[in-house]
Amino acid sequence: MGTGAVVARPRPRLPGIVRLARGLAMPVGSVLFAFVAGGVIVFVTGANPLGAYQGLLCGGAGLACAQGENSALQISNSLVYAIPLVMCGVAVALPFRAGLFNIGAEGQLLAGTITATAIGVHFAAWPAVILLPVVLVGGAVAGALWAGIAGVLKATTGAHEVVTTIMLNYAAQWLLRFLIIGGPLQPPGEFSASAPIGGNARLPTFLPNDSSVIVFGLPATVYRVHTGLIIAVLAAAVFAILLWRTSLGYEIRALGQSQKAARYAGVSVRRTVIVTMLIAGAFAGLAGAAQIAGVDHQMTDKYFSDTTGFDAIAVALLGLGSAVGIVLAALLFGALHSGGAVMQSDAGISSNLVLVLQALILFSIAANFLGAILRQIPGLGRRPSAPAPTAPGAALVTEASTALPEEGEPAT
Amino acid sequence: MVRWVRVLGLVVVAVVFVAACGSTSSATNTTPKIKVGLVTDTGGLNDKSFNHLAALGLAKAASTGTICSVGGLQCSGGLSVQGDVVESKTGDEYVPNLTNFATKGYDLVIGNGFLMQPAIGTVAKEFPNVKFAIVDGYCSDANFNDLKLSNCMDLLFKEQESGALVGAIAGLLEKAKKAPKNTNVIGAVGGISIPPVNHYIAGYKWAAELEDPGVKVLVGYSNDFNATDKCKGVANSQIGQGAEFIFQVAGGCGLGALQAAGQAKVYSFGVDADQKDADASVIASALKKVDVAVYDAIQAVVKSSFQAGENRFSLQNDATGYQIDNPLSDGSQLPSDIKAAVDKLAADIKSGAQTPPADIPTT
Repeated sequence: MGTGAVVARPRPRLPGIVRLARGLAMPVGSVLFAFVAGGVIVFVTGANPLGAYQGLLCGGAGLACAQGENSALQISNSLVYAIPLVMCGVAVALPFRAGLFNIGAEGQLLAGTITATAIGVHFAAWPAVILLPVVLVGGAVAGALWAGIAGVLKATTGAHEVVTTIMLNYAAQWLLRFLIIGGPLQPPGEFSASAPIGGNARLPTFLPNDSSVIVFGLPATVYRVHTGLIIAVLAAAVFAILLWRTSLGYEIRALGQSQKAARYAGVSVRRTVIVTMLIAGAFAGLAGAAQIAGVDHQMTDKYFSDTTGFDAIAVALLGLGSAVGIVLAALLFGALHSGGAVMQSDAGISSNLVLVLQALILFSIAANFLGAILRQIPGLGRRPSAPAPTAPGAALVTEASTALPEEGEPAT
Repeated sequence: MVRWVRVLGLVVVAVVFVAACGSTSSATNTTPKIKVGLVTDTGGLNDKSFNHLAALGLAKAASTGTICSVGGLQCSGGLSVQGDVVESKTGDEYVPNLTNFATKGYDLVIGNGFLMQPAIGTVAKEFPNVKFAIVDGYCSDANFNDLKLSNCMDLLFKEQESGALVGAIAGLLEKAKKAPKNTNVIGAVGGISIPPVNHYIAGYKWAAELEDPGVKVLVGYSNDFNATDKCKGVANSQIGQGAEFIFQVAGGCGLGALQAAGQAKVYSFGVDADQKDADASVIASALKKVDVAVYDAIQAVVKSSFQAGENRFSLQNDATGYQIDNPLSDGSQLPSDIKAAVDKLAADIKSGAQTPPADIPTT
């Protein structure tokens, strides 16, 4: 386990190439494992794995398209899916660093969508320079408050954040259902959708919103990739700076390494837990707001079955809790989401295979057998007692289980 | 070390497999004339009702194509049609899935489900040269207003007719004192309160009261189309209030209502497809032949008789109806006089002598 001394010490310096190899081994290995195992599954069910992965590659990255798909469109679709995953990935990864398991990114995202929609519909007449920031900030504040409930409970009563955030997911989902089915956000008529937000509340797309403009052979409006992409990248950058360049980030990391040691070092555990959850929720809420302002423009029944906040857990794990990793993992998951449909229409393989692949990636990370393999290889192997700052997947489980009993002790 | 060897073994096996099938890639054996793409809603192909039927209609029209391997359905020869299906796992995918078909030179793109209306409206507007068809709705804007596009065919059903036929069975069994407890209470479990659901329930209630004026009809909504436990809860609450017929109008969610009826030893009615196998309590199903509508839409494109706007499917073109399923609790079949009465009602509706309401009547 990490100690206070380890926390205070700068990150261990190793030759760059070895550090890179170590950092990439687990995520890349997990993805490779998933694809190989998925290929076997496809083959066993009597289909052609190469065809399946060709479809996936086409739909995800616009490469190797065999049946007339538009490559630019596929990339645009993948990016649209990746945008909320980046922000929700941060919302999961930040609490990870503090030893907290935020399962509630979905609920926080929904709180953000609800607030952003309500503002965007109600104040549709406001000019865009004011309305758009209000919509985004409103969504972030709502997400922060939603997550803050779990944070305050954790800090005061010791209620486990896994339980409270899961329950808050349900609360947000059913609140959303109520609001758009017979509730105040449903316009007259029998439709399970909110009214669309005003034009001034929308995030612009990168291409003109005019279907008469032809880009890469298609009307420009089919490319839905929007400026939320910039917000997502900024969110990842803010996350990295917060974590590594601020005293709060230091406190969060200290808390994650060892609560006791953090307390002795003068970190207020309660305050840090609450603040961490507030910030995390803000990222998820921002994701929801950007989704409404950028793509959907209204709340519909699709949010009943939305899984972005849950996929974000996988993204955060696969990204090893680092900003760059989260962006890359979100791009991968966005590509998988987009590619699944093309795989089904081109190769005739159920797009549910994508869900299998996602599960296998997670499984592979959780099982951490690649770490076990690496230890067998001389040179790459590391001492078992060494701290694992780049492997939150393994570290978190132990942190989460040890954090709970300590919670009963008085915090400073 | 053992794990390492195992993983290596797995990799080797997989590589061999991949290499082996690279050589056996299937070749397309015909040159299809018409390409049709079907996008399901989030219920998926295996919903035993709505999406399954749409895929069935496509498979019927298709002589080749991947549909044969996707839905596990048999394709038969006939039209020179290539049919491809994509399941939408989330509502996020409606627009990309529809757009993909439209960009790939498909002649007809079919969206399945009321909730896909704004998505198909958006895409159909962007691709005026591609034909679209939407089951249960219109190509609409975000407020669900019909855009009245010249490349969009609306495939709508008179669900109230099918609802009326199973409602009549419930009313007649109550009147004949052949219901499980003869409480004179029946129930309907809807998904979300949207027109296609309410049409069914309206007909159900209307016909039950027509046949048995003293009957009490409970109507509840699960606010969900996928999660079975939610419909189970609504059905159980109705059963608790004495309901002894449960009509599910909630897609995949409604399978839970059928199970609840089976566990409580009351009768239930399936919806859209013949749901006899979903539960032993299903004594009849209200049919909505989405397969007929999808097949007709494809035929219209094949025969160049595509007509934009409303296409209403009903008893007139044999696209609604009912199906008698499992026997009653004492093992007997539905009494022949009751079946005759239901068939008479069907004939009356078809001839226009009786008209079930489209909106749920207030008592």
